[in-house]
Amino acid sequence: MTQALNAQTLPVNDNVNPYAFCVDVNGQYFVQKGKMIAYYGQIKFEALSMGGLSQLVAGHFSSPLYHQDWIVATGQGKLILGDRGFDINSFDLEDGNLTVRASSLLGFDPTLILKQSIVPGFLTLIGSGKFLASSNGAVHFVEPPVRVDPQALLGWADCPSPCHHYDHTYMASVMGMVGNMFGRGGSGEEHQLDFTGAGTVLMQSSEDVNDTGILREMQAQIPVLGVAGLQQVQMTVNQRLAQEQAHQ
Amino acid sequence: MATLEKLNSKMVAAQINHGEQVFARKGAMLSYTGEVNFIPSTTGGASIGGFVGRIVAGENVPLMIAQGQGNVLFGHGGYQVKIIQLDGANSLTVEADKLLIYDGSLTAGTQFLAQGGGVRALAQGQMTGQGLCTTVLSGVGNAVVMSHGPVFEIPIGGGEVAVDPQAYIGHVGAVDVKLDMNVSWRDAVGKGSGEAFQLKMTGNGTVYVQASERKIK
Repeated sequence: MTQALNAQTLPVNDNVNPYAFCVDVNGQYFVQKGKMIAYYGQIKFEALSMGGLSQLVAGHFSSPLYHQDWIVATGQGKLILGDRGFDINSFDLEDGNLTVRASSLLGFDPTLILKQSIVPGFLTLIGSGKFLASSNGAVHFVEPPVRVDPQALLGWADCPSPCHHYDHTYMASVMGMVGNMFGRGGSGEEHQLDFTGAGTVLMQSSEDVNDTGILREMQAQIPVLGVAGLQQVQMTVNQRLAQEQAHQ
Repeated sequence: MATLEKLNSKMVAAQINHGEQVFARKGAMLSYTGEVNFIPSTTGGASIGGFVGRIVAGENVPLMIAQGQGNVLFGHGGYQVKIIQLDGANSLTVEADKLLIYDGSLTAGTQFLAQGGGVRALAQGQMTGQGLCTTVLSGVGNAVVMSHGPVFEIPIGGGEVAVDPQAYIGHVGAVDVKLDMNVSWRDAVGKGSGEAFQLKMTGNGTVYVQASERKIK
């Protein structure tokens, strides 16, 4: 039986166990909504839209699409974060840039600057400071050149943004085509993200794609479309819906 | 024979050289370096007879072949992985949906879990929610199985070992598996113990069990 933890015995900016992390809050700290599991001390949680925070948000959180997913913890105390039983790791960034899956970024120091990545569903951190990220299983680091299943990608540091890679052999093979016809495509073997250049790629065991980030970024593009474009999107959506319903 | 390395509890790396093949569950590739091709496979390395068997048996987990020269990382759905080495003397019997990858040097076949088969076996499979039929891998090479939570090994030798069908992953060796029903009127009215079905195993070998009753998708 391990000793019960309290405000004094909790680790300072360290893992409580692989799945929970204790942040020593002293001032302000960005937290993803719903990831706080417990706290000690005088901490208040405010939405980014709160008036008093506008200066902080303007300088350090440059992604309106994700405003609703984040809060700021202000005060003094210990904040314990957890995420779906995933492993949690603290990362140190020194005058660098790192891009991470939006759903896996749990919290970051306001010394860092957050911006939305070009790749949908990912956020980029720039500057110096600490941040917390969760991963399904331990994080595995690989160096480019490497091709990664989009679902297994946790993030990348320093290297240029990835490009899409499509496996022609896979798609051209007869069974691959049949698979696509029956809606079995999209498993990752015909499409990967291709990383080149110097840097590090962070990987996790694959997770189900339930990224609200991708959905939100698609919705954000809708106002750009005209009537003809909207009608095409509607047709595509209807076709996909019919396919999905036929499979159920 | 491709070289396998377990990177962490949920990932395994396969070093594939020219002329080597690895069969993998479709969608299980996480990343790769080098020149590796992925080809969809319906037969999973089995003969045409085996292929028909797979369809009849409802073993329709789509497979693919990875070949070429490079290093491939495999994992699926955040399930834990375990490498099982086969020396050629004993074969591995595993449920298709719990099989992540296997070496192209192994031969795959299918087998009804409940010996004797027939309508009774069908009914048992339906009632336990377990696959009716399993994949049998034989030869020299490695296979990687998946589990929800860590997998543990129970040796079978002499005595009988009973395993919950939902916790059963697979077994190695000359093992007889019998699906045992212990259904009473309590189960019919939903007041059963929830342990009405058991896999009774006898013989010589090892059974692999996961510490969970969750079905792998």
